[in-house]
Amino acid sequence: MTSLTDTSGLRKYLEEYDGPSIRIMEVCGTHTHEIFRQGIRNFLSPKINLISGPGCPVCVTPASYIDEAVFLALEKGCTITTFGDLVRVPGNQKSLQQARAEGGKVKVVYSPLDAEKYAKAHPEEQVVFLSVGFETTTPSDVIAVKNAIKDGIDNFSLLTANKTMPGAYEAMASSTDAYLYPGHVHAIIGTKLCRDLCERGVSGTIAGFTGEELLTALAVTVKKASEGKPFFVNAYPRVVTDEGSPAACAIVDKFMQPCDAEWRGIGTIPLSGVELKDEFAVCDARKKYSIPKMDYERKTGCKCGNVLQGQIKPCECPLFGKACNPDHPIGACMVSDEGACSAFYMYGGQS
Amino acid sequence: MNEVITLAHGSGGRKTSELIGEIFRKNLGNEYFTADDAAVLPKPEGRIAMSTDGFIVSPWKYPGGNIGRLAVCGTVNDLACMGAKPLYLTCSYIIEEGLPIEDLELIAKTMGETAREAGVNIVAGDTKVAGKGQVDKIFITTAGVGVIDDNVNTSGKFAKPGDKIIVTGDVGRHGTAILLARDEYGIEAEVTSDCAPLWEPVRKVLEVCPEIHVIRDATRGGVGTVLYEIADEAGVGIKVNREDVPVADEVRGVTGLLGLEPLYLACEGRMVMMCPADKADAVVEVLKATKYTEGATIIGEVTDTEIGRVVMTTEVGGQTYLPKPGNELLPRIC
Repeated sequence: MTSLTDTSGLRKYLEEYDGPSIRIMEVCGTHTHEIFRQGIRNFLSPKINLISGPGCPVCVTPASYIDEAVFLALEKGCTITTFGDLVRVPGNQKSLQQARAEGGKVKVVYSPLDAEKYAKAHPEEQVVFLSVGFETTTPSDVIAVKNAIKDGIDNFSLLTANKTMPGAYEAMASSTDAYLYPGHVHAIIGTKLCRDLCERGVSGTIAGFTGEELLTALAVTVKKASEGKPFFVNAYPRVVTDEGSPAACAIVDKFMQPCDAEWRGIGTIPLSGVELKDEFAVCDARKKYSIPKMDYERKTGCKCGNVLQGQIKPCECPLFGKACNPDHPIGACMVSDEGACSAFYMYGGQS
Repeated sequence: MNEVITLAHGSGGRKTSELIGEIFRKNLGNEYFTADDAAVLPKPEGRIAMSTDGFIVSPWKYPGGNIGRLAVCGTVNDLACMGAKPLYLTCSYIIEEGLPIEDLELIAKTMGETAREAGVNIVAGDTKVAGKGQVDKIFITTAGVGVIDDNVNTSGKFAKPGDKIIVTGDVGRHGTAILLARDEYGIEAEVTSDCAPLWEPVRKVLEVCPEIHVIRDATRGGVGTVLYEIADEAGVGIKVNREDVPVADEVRGVTGLLGLEPLYLACEGRMVMMCPADKADAVVEVLKATKYTEGATIIGEVTDTEIGRVVMTTEVGGQTYLPKPGNELLPRIC
């Protein structure tokens, strides 16, 4: 009997597992990246299939969202503030990088709070923050809006594409046998959702982010899944509590309301996003600048959607490593370090 | 003193002479230092190594050093990597009009101290002043000459399967120190640059292992870039045990927050060495007993498989390629 209490025992268990085939979807870009960085895929038993799901905010941001940001930068003269990765994501027409080269103002920030501070310091500019991400980062987007109201400034708004996981878990449930739930998301929303999903037959384990935490969560998942009954395990109890962070949830509920959201490559999932409530419309760039519907779609042959749903491996996309590489990304999964295609490329020795 | 550098200091006239006398000769002076058109030097015994390097680091002053120390160490270490004892340096300054003279004095003083520490003489120099905005405060170029013992031959091409790979201390300090000094991330951490002259440790290594195959300083692209360069130049594979790569806790913290790979952050006082396995322990032992290389350790070995690749054994015992060096992480790091 292999011991599951130390790293080498866990590794041995995952290497030698010979039960029924199991698909495990990690739903967090940080997990994807760390799994590659630790070389975990390279020693897993062939009976264990890891799927890099839709958990990297950059990867699931639709091209039409980039088109909206480009419109604001070039047509409305707004200053776009954003996390760095989004600058390189291709839109249907162009990326923000190209918009910047054409004279658009695009500024990389490290926090929405910095974007709000920038707006306050530059009253002559119309500042828009690209608000993407999951439950983990939405609270700080909301706090930026709250600060703008407190500071009495009217030149700061969010272009929202914030997503929430519950809808995605339901929508993707048939693509996997168990989820590796994202530890940081559940540190905010708690574990009730996972328990409810378990009752409806959807299994999963909440995982931490170190190599050893990941091995533990994977081994627990494999062991439980091979027993054949739906399960839920919190394998990250030092950070994730049952109730999560009620304060963070409350502030989001105060400013935001659920909405349908488009996930790049997957399509629209009902009520899988949040947007600012009507009373905060002055901080909602979509309403403030009457952005037209961006319905032009460029056909690229990119198979990011199939990758995100675990239907193909990145290297099975005909563009992978050829037309699409980190220097010239075509799909969003090749842009961020947390994207499945980028991680496959970097750690798989494709370059 | 509120005096600043003006275009007149670069005119070649009286102000230039004042600058040379009061700042450069005072701080850099030695028996060979000249204000003539060229320094005249005794002929050294042995093969000569010659190197040059330009320095444009921003900001010019950071925890653990300034551009003056960097300019001396950079060229001294380039020479040392070829097994050459550094003898003479020249330095050329391009100064932005408006630089406070006290800043220039601090830089010259640091260069003098670092040169004396490194056992090298600065023998000639040049000063040009550029208009406001044409350079960023000060750019320095140094060139150096050193002499190599007959039995020493190092090159990236000489890495051989079976060689042990040594780094001379914890990695990624200089890059992290510069990144924090720029204050763009709002992170506060105590990280000082590792910038140091490394001829003395190299000299001692050559005493115990004159046949050492590779010595290379891990500057701009960090240790990771050096490993890929050597894998390519020598046509070998490189295997590294990630847990053996020394990274200071504060550097690990900052790079973890920002998602950076410490192996790709610049060092200015670290070398990568590759030597026959039977000499590796002796090399590490002398390094550990020498200033600036106390943290030396073996991180991996050269292989005849996975040619041109760097394979990492990870903390959990997995194997993966070290991602290849990507786009420039930070401009103007040295």
